[in-house]
Amino acid sequence: MDPNLVLSYLDQVLVFVVFAVSLNLLQGYAGQVSVAHAAFGAVGGYALGYLVLNAHMGALEAMTIGTAGAAFVGVLVAIPALRLTSEWLILLTLAVQTIIISLVTTVSSLGGTYGLQNIAPLSVFGHDLSEPSGIFPFFAVLTILVYVICYRFGESPYGRVLRGIREDEIACRSLGKNVFLYKTIIFGVTAGMAGLAGAMQVVNNTVASPALFDFNQSSTIVAMVVIGGAGNLLGSIIGVLALVLMGPIFEHLLNFGADAAALWRLVAFGVVLILVLLVRPAGLFPDKVTRRLGKTIDRMRKQPEPPSDFIPKPDLEEMHVIEEHVAAKDRNIVLPRAVAIAATASGNGSSANGAAAIGDVVLTVKGITKRFGGITAAENLDMQLRRGTITALVGPNGAGKTTVFNLLTGAIRPDAGEVFLGGEDIVGLTPDKVANRGMARSFQNVRVFPRMSVIENVMLGVQHQPGEHVVPLFLNIPRVQKVEKEVRERAHEWLTFVGMADFAAAPAGSLAFGQQKLVALARVLSTEAEVLLLDEPASGIDFQWVNVMLQLIEQIRAQGRTVCIVEHNLHVVERLADHTYFMELGRITAQGSFAELTTDKRLAEAYFGTS
Amino acid sequence: MNLANFLQLAINGISNGTSYALIGVGFGLILGVSGRFHIAFAITYTLAAYVAAMLTTWYGWPFWLAVLASALAAALLGVLMDRLVYLPLSLRALQVGTDPLLIMFVASLGLVVIGRNAIALAFLSQSSMNIAGFSNSGVNVGPVTITTLNMVMVAVSWALILLLAAVLNYTALGRMIRAVRANWEMSLCIGIDPSRIFLVVFAIGSFLSGVAGVFQGTLTSATPDMGLPPLFYALVVAFVAGLTSSPIRVALLGLALGEVEALSSLFLPTQFAPLVVFAILFTYVAMRPVKLADLRRSFSRRKPQAAAG
Repeated sequence: MDPNLVLSYLDQVLVFVVFAVSLNLLQGYAGQVSVAHAAFGAVGGYALGYLVLNAHMGALEAMTIGTAGAAFVGVLVAIPALRLTSEWLILLTLAVQTIIISLVTTVSSLGGTYGLQNIAPLSVFGHDLSEPSGIFPFFAVLTILVYVICYRFGESPYGRVLRGIREDEIACRSLGKNVFLYKTIIFGVTAGMAGLAGAMQVVNNTVASPALFDFNQSSTIVAMVVIGGAGNLLGSIIGVLALVLMGPIFEHLLNFGADAAALWRLVAFGVVLILVLLVRPAGLFPDKVTRRLGKTIDRMRKQPEPPSDFIPKPDLEEMHVIEEHVAAKDRNIVLPRAVAIAATASGNGSSANGAAAIGDVVLTVKGITKRFGGITAAENLDMQLRRGTITALVGPNGAGKTTVFNLLTGAIRPDAGEVFLGGEDIVGLTPDKVANRGMARSFQNVRVFPRMSVIENVMLGVQHQPGEHVVPLFLNIPRVQKVEKEVRERAHEWLTFVGMADFAAAPAGSLAFGQQKLVALARVLSTEAEVLLLDEPASGIDFQWVNVMLQLIEQIRAQGRTVCIVEHNLHVVERLADHTYFMELGRITAQGSFAELTTDKRLAEAYFGTS
Repeated sequence: MNLANFLQLAINGISNGTSYALIGVGFGLILGVSGRFHIAFAITYTLAAYVAAMLTTWYGWPFWLAVLASALAAALLGVLMDRLVYLPLSLRALQVGTDPLLIMFVASLGLVVIGRNAIALAFLSQSSMNIAGFSNSGVNVGPVTITTLNMVMVAVSWALILLLAAVLNYTALGRMIRAVRANWEMSLCIGIDPSRIFLVVFAIGSFLSGVAGVFQGTLTSATPDMGLPPLFYALVVAFVAGLTSSPIRVALLGLALGEVEALSSLFLPTQFAPLVVFAILFTYVAMRPVKLADLRRSFSRRKPQAAAG
């Protein structure tokens, strides 16, 4: 085969590698589906064409401006996209795709349907870009650069946050991650890379036309990423090769005409896409955790159906492991480092009220009120949480207990009232800011990140990681690596504490519910927040596990943390609570020790039952 | 601006808007009930136009018989797509625990790629095909001109939309469809097989797409790429009207969209009309209050967020 022809195919491969790898970062890691990737390419490509033809700019300068322009448009799109779930995001990006392509088609100075023609001759640093052989080394450098940047973003603490966002945004915010900022940055970065790919496409074709960047192109790029496997950049390269190299197969091997070969190639690609989805829904090369998750599920599927008289038995072996861990904790209390830090901090008197001691008020709630339409979810609530104690919030279903957690952590903004955490009013702060200031929560329905490993779940909770910020991520690599190692160790300590260290590498989604609860507990502990709000920590788990959980929570109290639990199980409340608030219909109607509440005649009749 | 011009544009808006209404209703029914993000709606639309073109020009079928046959062909293709691709995929997605919505969307993209290019391959020698058998003529009503084709199209489309609304509201089948739309897992408990209802909505929705495709093909001609622009309009109409809304509401929104698009050319050059529509969509989606995720609620394993408990 003609070497120039081979090189021109390779140039095409490189263009699509840049498109696909950047889309994978956005879609596979951060979970933000976009069918506007080619349109961002149009921004870069048309900018290059226009600047070269009309402003007689050099290829490199025009490319830089095109990339920056596409990144800017990406950030603009990100802002309305921040709150959207995937079907609406598809719709929004579809609108963006159509608007951009309609614009470049209608604006007459951009050449209409035919686009900008004869964008040549181009050169970079005196290097001629008119032949495939000249283009190849330049494109290779750009592609490697993009790949390395995407890899660094994806396979790092930063990528861990992105995957957390993909799995569960709310849980991610509750761990102190500024989800909106991450999404905006990653939209901007990947749109910029798409702009670069678009500019490369224009250099390669010497034409900037709407057909190069239309919806079909966008969907092809999405398909490449899906075929290769989301969250695996190398897989995307395979996806690109599958599509681009089908062209020469049909044209030169099977000797179809050029027109027919182009169509056959796309038909075959569509068929491959659907077959891959049917056989391997996560793509040919899914990321490590998804692969393990798939194996676990396959294994479960292969097990024979249980007979009809089957009675489930808890795996006592496994239970022993955990109980041994907990027992070991009781005998020989090895405090994770975080607690040691907390202990010294309280010794230094870091809190505003001088030396912090057990029993000091850490959180004060004054007159919190929230109404949803005509329903009062919280009415003029006053609460205090004290260091080293467990406060329980009890009451019938619908009393507004979980709403209190949502109000305290900023998930819902109260209509009136104040919340003081260590002397600072935190009303109006977003959940991530509240978590940063030292109050973290767990969720009744656990909200672990299912397609991430157990240890990654816990590592996400650790605060102040330099690798989660763009500048140190790229400019201070040694420090990022060093802290990452510490973060992993610390997460391991927390997992050991809750007895889940043996499952560190397992996907969190493959665990039983009770195990997930322990992981969620380790995760919230790893934030090292001073105040922990635990939503029904012992609900929905087996009797034996309840005991494990309660021992852990008692242990946390002993470490000097401030704990507030919402709980329905009165035995749990009786055992744990130092102080109890009783809620009905959004109001606190009684408070005191558990014994005091249960002896209250009205409450005993209405709620606790008389015995 | 003069009155005649305004009236003419308004009339054009009605015929375009009716077309958007028909495809919006069909697409919305499929997406709302089955949760399949069925982009390949564009392919059933295109196929019907080609079938009608072949039947009328090659075999000399009468126009109306060809309309019926090609809409049925579209319905059959839609049903096959659901049976052969979406249903196995949705089961697989449940097993593996990935987001079914995204998988369906991507698979549907694959079907679009296959369908569009397979049609182009089959008709490689000709870039478009005409549908014969309808003698179109203009009727002057005062200052405006209406074509007979547009009149017939508007009448047939609205008749179909009202018929569908009646079926959904007053028949047992309609109640079953609405039950599955509200909660397909729960509908299992009262003895409805959702996968069969999905087939029914695919048949109905694809049939409507076929009718719209044939009329569009008669108005201009059948081309392999004719399906995507109307699909985008169908998406806009279905999502903005709401996926669980009645067909009449969806259709009225389609009509309004057609009017907005047509009348926008009073103020802007004609080629900007699609831009206006998608700018409206963009603004609508961007400004939308957060929790309209009807689909997500019914088709995701994740529980509804935050305030629960």
